[in-house]
Amino acid sequence: MTNGEAVAELRNVHFSYDGGAHWTLNGIDLTIMPGERICLIGANGSGKSTLSRLIAGLTAPDSGSIRLLGQQVFGADNGADAEAYRTARRSIGAVFQKPEDQIVTTVLEDDVAFGPENLAVAHDDIGTRIAHALHAVGLDGLRQADPTRMSGGQQQRTAIAGMLAMQPRLLVLDEPTAMLDEMARADVMSVLDDLQRHGTTIVHVTHRPEETAHATRILKLENSVLTQVDGMSARVEAGSGDDAGSGADAATADVWTEDVEAESATTDVAAESVAADVAAESVVAESVAAEPAASATAIGSSDDGASVPSPSSAPLPSSAPLVSVEHLSYTYPGASSPALNDLSLTIDPGEIVAIMGPNGAGKSTLARILCALAVPDAGTVTVDGIPVARPRNHGTRIRYANRRQRSLVHATVGYIMQHPERQLFAQTVAEDIAYGPRNQGLDDHEVTQRTEDVMRLLHISHLAGRSPFALSGGQQRLVAIAGVLACQPKLVIMDEPAAGLDANARHRLHALIRHLRGQGVAVMLITHDSDEARMLADRIVRIPAGGAGVDSVGSVGSGDSVGSADSGDSKKSEAAAQRDTRIDDTHRRAPDRTAASLIGRLDPRVKLPAFLLVMMCAFAITNVRQLAVGACTVIGVLIASRIGAGRLWRSIRVFLVLFVFMGLANVFFVRAGTTLATIGSIPITDDGLAISALYICRFTMVIVMGAVFLATTTPTAITDAVDALFSPLRRFGVHTQEVALVFSLALRFMPTLATETRAIMDAQSARGGSIETGTPTRRLRAMAAIIVPVFAGALRHADDLGLALDARCYEEGIHRTHWRVLRIESRDIVFMMAIALTLAGIIAFAFLP
Amino acid sequence: MSQSSAMQSHTDSDRSTAAATETPTAHTANRPTDHAVGAHSTGVADHGRWSTRRIAMYALFVALAMAASLIELPIFPAAPWLKYDPSGIVCLVAGFAFGPYAAAIVSILGFLPHVFTSPWGALMGMLVALAISVPASLVYRRKRTRRGAMTGMALGMVIALVVALISNLLVTPLYAHMTVAQVAAMIVPILLPFNLLKFAIHAVVTFLIYKPITTLLDHAA
Repeated sequence: MTNGEAVAELRNVHFSYDGGAHWTLNGIDLTIMPGERICLIGANGSGKSTLSRLIAGLTAPDSGSIRLLGQQVFGADNGADAEAYRTARRSIGAVFQKPEDQIVTTVLEDDVAFGPENLAVAHDDIGTRIAHALHAVGLDGLRQADPTRMSGGQQQRTAIAGMLAMQPRLLVLDEPTAMLDEMARADVMSVLDDLQRHGTTIVHVTHRPEETAHATRILKLENSVLTQVDGMSARVEAGSGDDAGSGADAATADVWTEDVEAESATTDVAAESVAADVAAESVVAESVAAEPAASATAIGSSDDGASVPSPSSAPLPSSAPLVSVEHLSYTYPGASSPALNDLSLTIDPGEIVAIMGPNGAGKSTLARILCALAVPDAGTVTVDGIPVARPRNHGTRIRYANRRQRSLVHATVGYIMQHPERQLFAQTVAEDIAYGPRNQGLDDHEVTQRTEDVMRLLHISHLAGRSPFALSGGQQRLVAIAGVLACQPKLVIMDEPAAGLDANARHRLHALIRHLRGQGVAVMLITHDSDEARMLADRIVRIPAGGAGVDSVGSVGSGDSVGSADSGDSKKSEAAAQRDTRIDDTHRRAPDRTAASLIGRLDPRVKLPAFLLVMMCAFAITNVRQLAVGACTVIGVLIASRIGAGRLWRSIRVFLVLFVFMGLANVFFVRAGTTLATIGSIPITDDGLAISALYICRFTMVIVMGAVFLATTTPTAITDAVDALFSPLRRFGVHTQEVALVFSLALRFMPTLATETRAIMDAQSARGGSIETGTPTRRLRAMAAIIVPVFAGALRHADDLGLALDARCYEEGIHRTHWRVLRIESRDIVFMMAIALTLAGIIAFAFLP
Repeated sequence: MSQSSAMQSHTDSDRSTAAATETPTAHTANRPTDHAVGAHSTGVADHGRWSTRRIAMYALFVALAMAASLIELPIFPAAPWLKYDPSGIVCLVAGFAFGPYAAAIVSILGFLPHVFTSPWGALMGMLVALAISVPASLVYRRKRTRRGAMTGMALGMVIALVVALISNLLVTPLYAHMTVAQVAAMIVPILLPFNLLKFAIHAVVTFLIYKPITTLLDHAA
């Protein structure tokens, strides 16, 4: 089966990220024959991803020679050959770790078509390829769905389909399942098995032993060199490298191990002493463990948190609980079912409580409520004696903590969000850590003291003056954790703190958690890893889907694992889970009414300028007849778009309220006409009211047109229109095709960034940073503390996205074909005439008496 | 003093960026870091082409500007209807990091979604964003120092102020029943101080965050 020449041939390949000071790859030799399925394993930061990118032709080495698919892409003497790389890349597919960052647009079939378009595949061929690719990954039924709203597993299969449509001879996958839950992992693996059967050569970077089962060869990258291992030892290695359950994120976790080496001389001793401390503490811990269990039995809200003795009436243990939550419910704005439903739980001082449950069970929401970052709908929440939320005497609404109480809660509860290193912002590590204490209003001496203490605790004192962005992922996480601990919280909430860390780093984290307990700090540990929960927690609380808390006291060590244990980004996956249901909804309604309507089928190149013209002209309306013309057009458009009244109302109500206010404001400026009433000294006249009405009508027309446009036009179509309308600028050297692509990618990433921004704002306000209160300097600092991490996140996405575009063979100026063919049809001409008539009417009635 | 030396190193890395951006070089062992291309290039994206990395960077900056333009913060108690949105900061940073062309793209595309809710307002937003970020990046391109950044932003602020006032004179009467003269009467008490405050926040925040962001860009490359 290995006839023909090698698919990839690497000879004496060297690669360094720091100009040769340290070699990530040191003399790699590798030959890959057609039909092979190679699994590439190795610890975090060992250079697996780098090697996979070299094989995929996405990056060039420092030295050595590389042949890909018969092309000498990199020669020992002449370096990179762009033309050879270009040719080779067209037959190599690459799939990366983060499912989301590989999606380029918001319609599945368009996304799959992107690669073939870049290869200039003929239109009909693209159709066949889309069909085959989607069939191969089992997404046939979802052609029109929005991949940015799919679950991680579906997104990763979308990415694979995008590659298959380019008919690659070699497929390189860099930890494609790292961010996925078990089910999704199995789906992706079965797709790979299929591809292997059909003869595609596969290079698969993985941490998971079970994924190496069908490999023809398992190669291990260690100490910058490659060795072949047999299945069994690979199993062990892969297992120790990163155990299942925590999403591996090489980008964040990379060189934690390396930083241990760097510190080794000074720190190892210290680390050992902490380990010894921890050992001593764990004895204490075990004896403590019995007590919460007892109290929890008394408190334990059994099934569905129904009527059990309420905590307050139950006999309390020696001290009152640090956190008490009773009958808590929370529903996302606009969601139909609650994220949390009648949840009750307590956390005692110095207790480690693990929170487990499937995605969407509301674990992160619970964390936000305890941090006073989200307002629950019902229930009582008390944190360290501070009433965060309690029922009002009458009615269903709750009484929520005031600003002073909230900032007290922020000082009491430390919130370590998922991937906390994403909240780093300051110029130096010490400054970043000092942010929280400074926000608490402590004096400089105290702030410095706390910063130094916590750095010593985490063995990062030597990093104090460095930029946090210059550190390895593992170090960054320590700094971020230090920034929370420096606030000296009584309760630390950790959301998947071990996600993406390798075994060594995880041990250090666990030692830290035990140390905190020894200090009397309570820890609420949100985790998907049942081993971690069993090992660390005094108590495990399981929140089932739908969010009714079950305080499963007896389950410590009982060994039952959570059904849908999932990796990494639970917040994201939770959102994805919600989206999944939304996607299901749209499928039930499919085909979408509005998309199939007359307005929905208009050529976007006609629709976009026509709508904008009408919207802009609406501002020129000054009399009733003009208003009538405009209103006729708007009503006509509304009917032709078949947009439902409910949907229209939902999309315009926010603006409408604003516009009514703006319109009414005119009442106060108009003095002409008959005075009807006076408010204070301001006369209200009939002319004033008429003008207000006119303005409100104008604004309404504009916003209705805008809403109809957005409801009937996909981002892809908007991009097509922008591309076409900007294309005359090409004569002036403007990269119009690229600008259009930039716009389309921006539309696709905007919601992602908005979500991330909210997460960072939460994390910083939990450290007491508020842009709404305080002195101008403080507010500006708070703003910087949000903006810098947001930029950092955007750059991370950009890095991933750039690679994904490379993998799809996008290049500036190439000849592309188009899957979506635009054609001006008779309906477009009719529509243009109607719009022209409207504009003429509005202009004519402006001059007619 | 340590600040000025820190500034110096940042200056140097930026100068090399400019060099690499304008005249992309072939792969060499010690090639300077280009924010928009990155080391270990396969050569596919060289020679005046827009690398995929550059497209991705611009796209994320535009996405950021779009997201930021949706934020509305009341900063001027005298005129609560005038809201501050931080998108101008993104335009400025884009201009400093990638040049005036990037500033223009981010300014225009970042406001494009608003065209569908408030066409004239969006146009005004684009013009003002262009007026502050493009001159700022043009000055900074010539003079890559802390002082250059300040001069650039000061110039941008003046131009943007003029553009903001003129466009207010023209556009406000479309939204409210006021004559141009009535809007002009609002300049000194409301429009001028609000816009000054807005641009000052842009400038100060950009100044605060630019250093860490260059560090980030250097490490990302």
